[in-house]
Amino acid sequence: MTIIEVSTGKKLPIQIVPVEMADYKSLVKSRYFFDWETEKNEEVYKLVIESDNSILGIISLERIPGEWRVHIRLLTVSKENKGSGKKYEKIIGNLIAHAAKIAVAEYGELACISLRPKTEIAQHYIDKYKMNITGITLSLIVPEILDLINQFDNNL
Amino acid sequence: MIQDVEYGVDSRYKNKKERESESIALMQARLEKMKHLPKEQIIKAKLLQLKLKMDNFLKEPENDNDNHFSKFLEIYIDAIYSQRSKFAKDINVTPVFLSQIINNHREPKEEFILKLMIHSEKVFKNVCDFHKKTWYQVYFQEKIAETMSSQDEWRPRIEKQVNLNELVEK
Repeated sequence: MTIIEVSTGKKLPIQIVPVEMADYKSLVKSRYFFDWETEKNEEVYKLVIESDNSILGIISLERIPGEWRVHIRLLTVSKENKGSGKKYEKIIGNLIAHAAKIAVAEYGELACISLRPKTEIAQHYIDKYKMNITGITLSLIVPEILDLINQFDNNL
Repeated sequence: MIQDVEYGVDSRYKNKKERESESIALMQARLEKMKHLPKEQIIKAKLLQLKLKMDNFLKEPENDNDNHFSKFLEIYIDAIYSQRSKFAKDINVTPVFLSQIINNHREPKEEFILKLMIHSEKVFKNVCDFHKKTWYQVYFQEKIAETMSSQDEWRPRIEKQVNLNELVEK
């Protein structure tokens, strides 16, 4: 999996690994937009460049086995990766693809990921990640969930 | 402007009622869509699931006595074939030989793993990249895990046969 350095166009290999307790000290709202302390008991992953420890994005997940679904609870990039001046591209896509990989590994052909963005940004997720809309919930299932994984996971 | 929207989402459910009503609506929509899901897509999903499970096993090997190689082999065959004997025919082994490997009554020989490697290359070609060394890695990883977890059984007997007559100085 890679992200792109906007200034050079260079592809950089990344890792998505579980957030450790010590990380929460640095996950402040001013840089990561939400209060991540509240997610301490959830399944939370961080996106880092392989050669660097700086956290560029975070995702919190809930596995719902009874519905063969992984729900994205909270998702963000770091402040310097927001908007037109962002340093790296593809952070959010990689994090969503990570959730998709967990869902497919767990539930196979029944796999589903879901999230609920605000109405004004839902269309962006529908267009960019080919998500389906049901009420206010966006979701990805087979075959689109497989396409997303293949799109972002260069190791596959 | 659209770039500005992609910095984060708070999707947490506010309460149980909200969660339940959305779950029901979502499940109904999914079931409807799944009714029309082509068989090829189901097979692709099963194969990608297998590939991810094998990758996870290689990343975080479990020191247990489970037979991961044969378990993965079984999933692989059942994802593609309606009958295991058809797979046996395709790789030129007898159904009995295949059954013995799946049921852990026989070790897979090198030629069997080589055939499996080539078969997988062809199958995964239109699904995702499947590294040719994956089956080998799983097989040997399992052997390492088995050996490490069963030291109590083999170590006393083997240790009796090992002497060190030439001392290595610190």
